[in-house]
Amino acid sequence: MAFTARAENVSPLAALKNVLQDALAVARVGRRTMHYLIRGKREPGSVARQMFAIGNQSLFFMCITMAFIGAIITFQTGLQSKKLVPDFSMIGATYLKLLIRDLAASVGALPLATRVGAGIAAEIGSMVVTEQVDALRMCAADPVDYLVVPRFIASVIMGTVILIIGGFVAYGSGMLVAQLMFDVSPHTFTNLSLVTMGDLVLGVSKAVTYGGAIALVSGQRGLATFGGSEGVGWATTEAVVGSCFAIIVLNLVISTIGYFFVPAL
Amino acid sequence: MIRLEDVHLAFGDNTVLDGVSLEVPPACIYALIGPGAAGKSVLFKVVAGLLRPASGKVFVDDEELGPLNEIELARVRKKIGMLFQNYALFDMNVAENIAFPLRRLFDLSEEEIAERVAERLERVALPGTEHRIPQSMSGGQKKRIGVARATIARPPIVLYDEPTAGLDPVTSQKIYDLVQEEQRAQDTTVMVISSDVAGVLTIADRVGMLHEGRLIFDGTTDDAKASTDPAVRQFVHGLTEGPL
Ligand SMILES: Nc1ncnc2c1ncn2[C@@H]1O[C@H](COP(=O)(O)OP(=O)(O)OP(=O)(O)O)[C@@H](O)[C@H]1O
Ligand SMILES: [Mg+2]
Repeated sequence: MAFTARAENVSPLAALKNVLQDALAVARVGRRTMHYLIRGKREPGSVARQMFAIGNQSLFFMCITMAFIGAIITFQTGLQSKKLVPDFSMIGATYLKLLIRDLAASVGALPLATRVGAGIAAEIGSMVVTEQVDALRMCAADPVDYLVVPRFIASVIMGTVILIIGGFVAYGSGMLVAQLMFDVSPHTFTNLSLVTMGDLVLGVSKAVTYGGAIALVSGQRGLATFGGSEGVGWATTEAVVGSCFAIIVLNLVISTIGYFFVPAL
Repeated sequence: MIRLEDVHLAFGDNTVLDGVSLEVPPACIYALIGPGAAGKSVLFKVVAGLLRPASGKVFVDDEELGPLNEIELARVRKKIGMLFQNYALFDMNVAENIAFPLRRLFDLSEEEIAERVAERLERVALPGTEHRIPQSMSGGQKKRIGVARATIARPPIVLYDEPTAGLDPVTSQKIYDLVQEEQRAQDTTVMVISSDVAGVLTIADRVGMLHEGRLIFDGTTDDAKASTDPAVRQFVHGLTEGPL
């Protein structure tokens, strides 16, 4: 793994090579995930169980985090814009556009990755070091099919739902701060005039992609665990770091596509 | 049929398999013996396609594993049942553990599955333990649940890694009898790793001895007993004097 201490003291060129190798390994797991998504054998209830685990683990944590993030962004935006234009009538409109187009998904995905990614990698990693994953492979259950696919589906669906809920919470906390600090009424704040359908599509595509990326990166890291329980610790760290990195890179890619095809007014 | 041709495998600079070639003919019980850390368990994982050798070829039923991808390997593994040295049981109850390969491979009714699980548990002398949790059972009991899981789908090839470790002599003999009876009944190809050399030689047709990553003996059971190689002699007869 390219970013953690197990690979320290390498030259920048070697580090870049490691990043590309990791990306390739994740892509291979992604390919198998797609294969089994169509042809795999779903255990009844496995996806629901994972969805419950992800929702249960992260909903409260995400709401608190997004509430603070929403409050901070609104407060800082308000402070800065006060210096430029002493007019807060559009603060809600720009904030909502930013939130829907990017922040709700991209900022929310980072704390989501820490919670969900660590959970997936730790669970799969401890199955690897106890040889349960080898046993699955001997029992006609490809670990990608049996372990990664249900987590992938659950992470895509539940991750998107949680990021959307987080977006609503950030909207609420932003509205509260605007009212308390800058005297902007909720009515003025709730201004969707700048938001287009394209923004919404872009925001939701990001959320869906991040949910999938977290599951694939963390699943791959978990399956690549080696070296006993210490290895599980490493895998967990690497899953979180790798997921966050993937989110940032994917944000760049999707935002660039969005810049050309879904112009921001 | 299982065939290895000049297989090399290392973990970092720890060479574990150093040019192993062997052939297990169909419908044969092949005992793999050797001192600790000789690479026996690693060799099983190579045969099962769980580890890829650095070089050399592995054939299972005339199909070379080397060029296969993970999805194609999964197809080959359906022919192989494996008992793990460290059990590798799932976090499920005993019945679900044993039924797992059946559920993955076939579409059977719940009654049929329950019947076959009960039959397996009977054979490994653990009847009525369906609802227990493996983590709460003894090492020998877990071993036998592993045997039941490895054989329930009646695979044509079975790999047993230390099937009698942690078992008393009577239960050990029952497990050996089970291995042999089922091998004879279904003409399966069987490989057994065992530290209980005397016990495993009572059922084996052929014997291979692995030492420091090399196969220092490969032949029939009678040849093994008559071998004049000092290391083989020492190991087969359990002597303290010798090169090991
Ligand atoms: N996953 C692994 N990573 C690194 N080294 C390993 C791994 N698995 C096995 N080894 C090493 O390979 C060597 C052979 O191990 P193996 O488990 O095959 O021994 P064995 O012959 O089965 O011994 P025993 O009779 O004690 O079970 C050992 O030196 C072990 O440290
Ligand atoms: Mg072993």
